[in-house]
Amino acid sequence: MIIVIDGINQHKFKDVLDEMYQLRARVFGDRLGWDVNIRDGREVDKFDTLNPAHVVSLNDEGDVVGCMRLLQTTGPHMLADVFNSILDGEPPLRSAQVWEATRFCVDTKKLGRGRGENSVSYVTSEVMIGSFEYAKMAGVLDSIAVIDPVMNRVLQRSGNAPYDYLGSAKPMGKVVAMAALMDCSDERISGIRKYAGIAHDVFLSDEQARTLFDTTKAAPKAANYDRKPLNQLEKYFVEQMGAATSKDEVDAVLRLIEELSDKFTPEQKFALLSTPRAFAHEA
Amino acid sequence: MKLIDLARIEQEERSAADIINAVCNELGFDYASYATFNPVKGDVQGYANYPDEWKIHYGSQGFHHFDPTLYQSMLSIAPVDWSRFSQDEKFHTVFKDAHDFGITPRGLTVPVRGPYGECGLLNVTRNCSDEEWERLKRHVMGDLQLAAVQAHDTVMQSGLLAKALYLPTLSTREKEILQWVAEGKSQQDIGDILSISHRTVEVHVRSGREKLGALTTPQAIGRAIGLGIIAPG
Repeated sequence: MIIVIDGINQHKFKDVLDEMYQLRARVFGDRLGWDVNIRDGREVDKFDTLNPAHVVSLNDEGDVVGCMRLLQTTGPHMLADVFNSILDGEPPLRSAQVWEATRFCVDTKKLGRGRGENSVSYVTSEVMIGSFEYAKMAGVLDSIAVIDPVMNRVLQRSGNAPYDYLGSAKPMGKVVAMAALMDCSDERISGIRKYAGIAHDVFLSDEQARTLFDTTKAAPKAANYDRKPLNQLEKYFVEQMGAATSKDEVDAVLRLIEELSDKFTPEQKFALLSTPRAFAHEA
Repeated sequence: MKLIDLARIEQEERSAADIINAVCNELGFDYASYATFNPVKGDVQGYANYPDEWKIHYGSQGFHHFDPTLYQSMLSIAPVDWSRFSQDEKFHTVFKDAHDFGITPRGLTVPVRGPYGECGLLNVTRNCSDEEWERLKRHVMGDLQLAAVQAHDTVMQSGLLAKALYLPTLSTREKEILQWVAEGKSQQDIGDILSISHRTVEVHVRSGREKLGALTTPQAIGRAIGLGIIAPG
């Protein structure tokens, strides 16, 4: 699902943006080898200080799995400045109805192949639908996107081929970068939706995005969510719960955890109590 | 920090006022205003066709120091519907008074960013039902974007230095396409001649037109010829 974070609501989403900057560092710094400024594992540049709109994709676990940054071409933007070599020395487009899309990426580590919800293809489509619909509502007709050839192929394969390119592809780290033109039309949006099988409204409200990010981050995922190996006692409880066949037996294990709670940190206890409950629920 | 009504001081520069009046008459809004911030003195300057009593009240209450339709909207790249300020106390402070002057809190702001990072804001209001408002927005948002950038450029270009700084820089492609338009070619013809899609032709025409501050393509051609950017067809 998509949350649009701009200068107005960014104070609510500092942590989401922080995770997004880390994703960008992994993609543009590590994987693509662009000459980007990475500090503390986060890629942030001066255009992030100009209140751009970030189109951010959160998966069901509340993780940031894709993003794109939008700026108006009437004001300062990357093609007018750092990417101007792509335009072969020509001045950039300037139009209230053209937005620039940069830093478009998805998390290829968390996402797989294929077309399912946790695939590169699905999240790419989701980010594109989000940004095109957001642009269209703003009265914007076209977008100019700075992308790499891999992203270009993903777009071509997913019913979303750019209708043209400006300037020429230029070496940028381990790959080249190019400026692709895409219209923000109903035809294109419905084409992407059809290809990805996304019929629902992709936008989250601020509150929904906050809840999705918080609940999944706060909830321990397993007994050893403190990331240490299970100790003997934890192992015993997990086995007991796995073997429990009746409600009485489940309750007995939970009681025993309570009895021995002075052996655990509060976090461990909380995690242990919820893990057997999860087991019990499945049983 | 002062609130400056440009219409009162610059008699020969009335075209920004013309633009906001046209926004109301042609696109169906009750009131419109354009505002920008003087980066040196921090003044708010602009044009509004609100009733004079409201303009005076607005200034005397110092609403221009905190009105979120200005200070929040400049943080967005997209037009901001004022419903986004429904939880904002400052918004309610301004629009509780606005109500007494017959001005609705139903409105939106189109933020424009200029080449030097400066920001201009076009505000429009219309007293109508939810359905009518949503329909109107869908219908006119593109036109509002164009009007906002025009109002902004008009204000920014008042003054000789600004005019020089704002001299339009068209790309070779934009010049080439405008030259073919001047020769009487259609967008489809030009696409065929240059072996590019007609959508690419369209996007360059639009960009060239806006750089030249023109409303229509013929006007853009006229200005481009006047500035020596292209040759007469």
